[in-house]
Amino acid sequence: MEDILVVEGLTKTFGGLAAVKEVSFRVRPNVIKAIIGPNGAGKTTLFDLLTGLYRADRGRAIFQGKEILGLQPHRIAALGIARTFQTVRVFPEMTVRENVMVGLHHRARAGMFASALRFPRARREEAWMWEESLAYLDMVGLEMQAENRAGSLPFGQQRLLEVARALATAPRLLLLDEPAAGLNDYETRELGEIIKRIRDGGVTVLLVEHDMALVMSISEEVLVLDHGEVISEGTPEEVRNDPRVIEAYLGTEIGA
Amino acid sequence: MEGDGKGARRVPRDGGVPRGTGDTPGRFSSSARSLLSIIRSYHLFLGLGVFLALFPLWADRISRPLGIPLVMVMRLVGIYTIAAVGLNLLIGYAGQVSLGHAAFFGVGAYTSALLCLKAHFPPWLGIPAAVAVSAVLGFTVAPVLRLKGHYLAMATLGLGMVFFVFMREMTWLTGGNDGLRNIPALYLPGLAIGEGRDYLRKEYFFIWIIALLVLLFCHNLVRSRSGRAMLALHQSEVAAEVMGVDVSWEKIKAFVLSAALAGLAGGIFAHIQGYIDPNLFTIVLSIQLVTMVVVGGMESIWGAVAGAGVITFIPKVVEALPKWLGEVPHWLEKYSNYEGIIYGLILVLTMVFMPKGITRGLADMVRYRRSPFVNPWRKKALE
Repeated sequence: MEDILVVEGLTKTFGGLAAVKEVSFRVRPNVIKAIIGPNGAGKTTLFDLLTGLYRADRGRAIFQGKEILGLQPHRIAALGIARTFQTVRVFPEMTVRENVMVGLHHRARAGMFASALRFPRARREEAWMWEESLAYLDMVGLEMQAENRAGSLPFGQQRLLEVARALATAPRLLLLDEPAAGLNDYETRELGEIIKRIRDGGVTVLLVEHDMALVMSISEEVLVLDHGEVISEGTPEEVRNDPRVIEAYLGTEIGA
Repeated sequence: MEGDGKGARRVPRDGGVPRGTGDTPGRFSSSARSLLSIIRSYHLFLGLGVFLALFPLWADRISRPLGIPLVMVMRLVGIYTIAAVGLNLLIGYAGQVSLGHAAFFGVGAYTSALLCLKAHFPPWLGIPAAVAVSAVLGFTVAPVLRLKGHYLAMATLGLGMVFFVFMREMTWLTGGNDGLRNIPALYLPGLAIGEGRDYLRKEYFFIWIIALLVLLFCHNLVRSRSGRAMLALHQSEVAAEVMGVDVSWEKIKAFVLSAALAGLAGGIFAHIQGYIDPNLFTIVLSIQLVTMVVVGGMESIWGAVAGAGVITFIPKVVEALPKWLGEVPHWLEKYSNYEGIIYGLILVLTMVFMPKGITRGLADMVRYRRSPFVNPWRKKALE
């Protein structure tokens, strides 16, 4: 099958410091691909470039045959790339369900006047969003929290809410930025199951993660970044034994 | 339809999931049920509507002893409600502060007044034109929305000043500081509103019918896709963008809508006052409108009503104080502008003890059965 994402020579510098340098890689559809690397390796910057939050200096990123660099973030979202954030960014003052309904935003059409005047089409759409949001909450096990304020959820559940919200945009590619950070062992295992289920549902997953146990257990492919450059790529087994990777981690036991 | 094969497993749900409607007991017929659900969704509108309809019946009787012409003041409350609810969409919901909305109010007033005076438009065409001109003007200056936070506030403040200067200096059109006089009173085809013995009462009903329709419009809007987009971009612009919300467009829509509503309020204002001059539309009005939003309650449609009511009535009450007290206390009289002091004090106290605004304070009291006031000296609980 054709690669869902092709990145070539992607480069981004901040004031002379290259955060991402000549990064090239491919992502096959329906896999979980992990991106690992020490702190400051450029993983989050890579996600910011792919979702249009930063502008790349050079390079190409072809998503399902379309160039996405230079597009505005909401256009990229509409094409089918969704993400979560390393620092949780739920909408704290909205309910859990409303958070997911924002994810459904671009899949609905009703304009301001149609909604405010309650045209039948807008009402049907609203009813659909109301129903549909629950399906996504169900996927991450938050359906009982639907009417609670998102900001009142414990940290781990806010992370799950971000996943549900991202899924609601109906992505083909989901970028998860350290989803396990701050979760306990039990929650991390649950998260691993959820990610696998998302992949099985037909969504390709790019996963930035520091939790090596999670990375090694669920991902089919691993990409290793260091100082903004790709230093290794392959199956978890190959990467684990790559001397350059071991050097980059300075003797950190990988896959402990 | 959508969402199939995209990871959306539809797992049968068990009960216990709170639902919006549909839990009405089955002993009602479906039409009675839909009537009930309408009443439930709009009970506050019905309540306010009934109150406003009955208000003039007793207002006249107590206006004289109070020393406040209640119906007359309530007309102004209605006008400011229209402008404040629009501004609340922009500031409270979308989180974009404007300190220049007096400009749109003023442009609305001048548009309708000039069309009626110079082109002999009837007011019922002049007011829609005022809405359109204010909206177009709002769209024209919408690029300021690229600015954020304090910078946006400063830029809109500047815009307000620029329009004030235009209104004052374009004497050939606006009459400059002398303003425009003899603006025709309100009338609809076949219905004179601003004339006759009880014109105040007719204007009052006209204004509040429009205000209630505007409130209903905004009430539905904030509970829709557009309203959620505004709230979302307010809380995290980055997250909203990445979720597929066209943030800059949503901001522009909120800004234009708030400008249009300010223009509507201004247009009606010109016709009930009969005269306008630039000094009515200065930064003072802009700040009053923002104060209505903040004191009434951000992110609240009803906050606009409460804010407009409180901010409009405070000066009238202060004016009437000497009448109630018989005489102003000697120590107070020494301050020539004591009205301003009382006015400011009430605002400060409201913000200290009801930081989320009057409506939020009262809603919390009803919902959580606690005091509507907060203790400002207590350390804030962890969010």
